[in-house]
Amino acid sequence: MTHSEFLRLIEDLLELEPGSLEGDEDLKGCGWSSLAVVGFMALADEQFGEIVSPAKLARCSTPNDLAALLGDRISVSQAA
Amino acid sequence: MASSGITGSRIAGMAASVPAAIVGFEENARLVGDQGARRVSQSTGIMQRRVASPDTTAADLCQDAAERLMTSLAWTKDTIDALIFVTQTPDYPVPATACCLQARLGLGKACAAFDVNLGCSGYVYGLWLAMALAAPGHLRRILVLTGDALSSCISSEDRSVAMLFGDAGTATAIEADASAQAVSFELGTDGSGYEHLIIPAGAARLRGSSETCVVHERENGNYRSDEQLFMDGAEIFAFALREVPQLIKTTLAAHGWDRDVPDAYVLHQANQLLLRHIAKKCGIPADKLPLSLHQYGNTSCASIPITICQCLGGAIRERSLRLMLAGFGAGLSWAAAALTCGPAVVLEPVVYVPASEAAG
Repeated sequence: MTHSEFLRLIEDLLELEPGSLEGDEDLKGCGWSSLAVVGFMALADEQFGEIVSPAKLARCSTPNDLAALLGDRISVSQAA
Repeated sequence: MASSGITGSRIAGMAASVPAAIVGFEENARLVGDQGARRVSQSTGIMQRRVASPDTTAADLCQDAAERLMTSLAWTKDTIDALIFVTQTPDYPVPATACCLQARLGLGKACAAFDVNLGCSGYVYGLWLAMALAAPGHLRRILVLTGDALSSCISSEDRSVAMLFGDAGTATAIEADASAQAVSFELGTDGSGYEHLIIPAGAARLRGSSETCVVHERENGNYRSDEQLFMDGAEIFAFALREVPQLIKTTLAAHGWDRDVPDAYVLHQANQLLLRHIAKKCGIPADKLPLSLHQYGNTSCASIPITICQCLGGAIRERSLRLMLAGFGAGLSWAAAALTCGPAVVLEPVVYVPASEAAG
C-alpha cells in the first residue's frame, strides 16, 4: 500500500476530509482517541494481518509513526 | 487450549432479567459531548444500557431469572442438585453467594452450591462445569446463574469503561439426558495479562481502605479509585484479535463442523467493532451474528445467554439450533462451545421488579 493510500485510510478512520493529512500532523489534534486506537488496530489486522502492539501504538504521535509500525507494508517512496 | 467433549446433558431452558433503569446517549454526552457520544455508539454499537439501583445486586437479578425459569420448566425446587453462580460482583466476599441463593430460591439442602469468579468468559465456563457434572451417573439438574452488576464498580468519570457496561442476570437450566448430542468445549487462560482488566483493591492483595476508595486522576484524564474497574481497552482488543478467531476455528474443528454449519455465532457482546471484525475474519455472515449490545451493552458473563434469550429464543423454543458460543475477557480468560440447543424453554429478557416495589 502506498503512503498516500495509507493516509486516506487514517483520514477515513478519523472522519477527516480526504487529502487533509500529510503525515506529520499531531494525531491528538486530529481527533485521535481510544476509539481511534481500536479502530486502527482493526484496520491494521484487516488490511495487513498485523496485530499491532498497544504499547508501541501508544508511542505514536503522527500518522507517519503509525505507518512506521507497519514497516515495509507501507511504501516509503510515496511519502514525499 | 484445554479440549473437553461432553455427552449426556443438555440445556433445558434459559432466562434473563435486567434492571429497569436505562442510561444511554444523554449520560454519555455529559462525559464526552454530543459528537463524542455519537462516535462511541457508532463504534461500540451500544445505544443504551441497564443499570441496577444501589440496592439491587447481580444475585437479585439471577434469582429473578431462576425463579421464572424453574416455574416455566415445572422444575420442583427439591430436584435441583447443584447451583453454580458465575459473577465478579458477589453479594459478599464470604460466604459464596451461591449458598445464599440456594436458600433464597428455596432449593433443598441436597444441593451443591459454589461461585465461580470469571467475567466475560464465565458463561461458557459455567456451562462446561454444569454439563460435565450432569453427565450420566452424576447430577441430574443444575442451575447455572451468570450475572454481574458492574455499574457499582465503575467510575462515571472514566471514559474507558463508563459507557460500555450494563447490568444483567441470567439462569440456564442443565439436565442430564442420555440422548443429548455431544458438546465440544475449548478453554484457555493467559494470566500474564491480568492487569489489563482489573479491580485492584478490595480483596486480599490490596485491602479496601480509606486510601483505596479515593478517586484519583489517571491516564488520559480519566478518574477512578482503586476499588473501581480499570480496563486497558487496547490491550483487551489486541487479546481478542489474537485469541478469539483461533478459538472459534479450533472449536469448529474439534466438533467436526465447517464454518457454515452453525446457525448462529453467539459471541460475548464486547463491542460491535470488535465483533464485526472477528466475524469478517472468521467468515461469519452478519445474519449469523446476533447482537444484543444495542439494548443491554456489555453485560459481562450474562452477555451470551441474554443474547440467546433476546435474539434466538423464538427459534430455540421451536427447534434445535447449532450454536457456537465464545466468551473472552478478564483473566485473561477465554472459552468456546459448539453445541446443538433446543427445543428448549428460552424466555425473553424481562425487567426485574424488586419485591418491595412489587408489593407496593
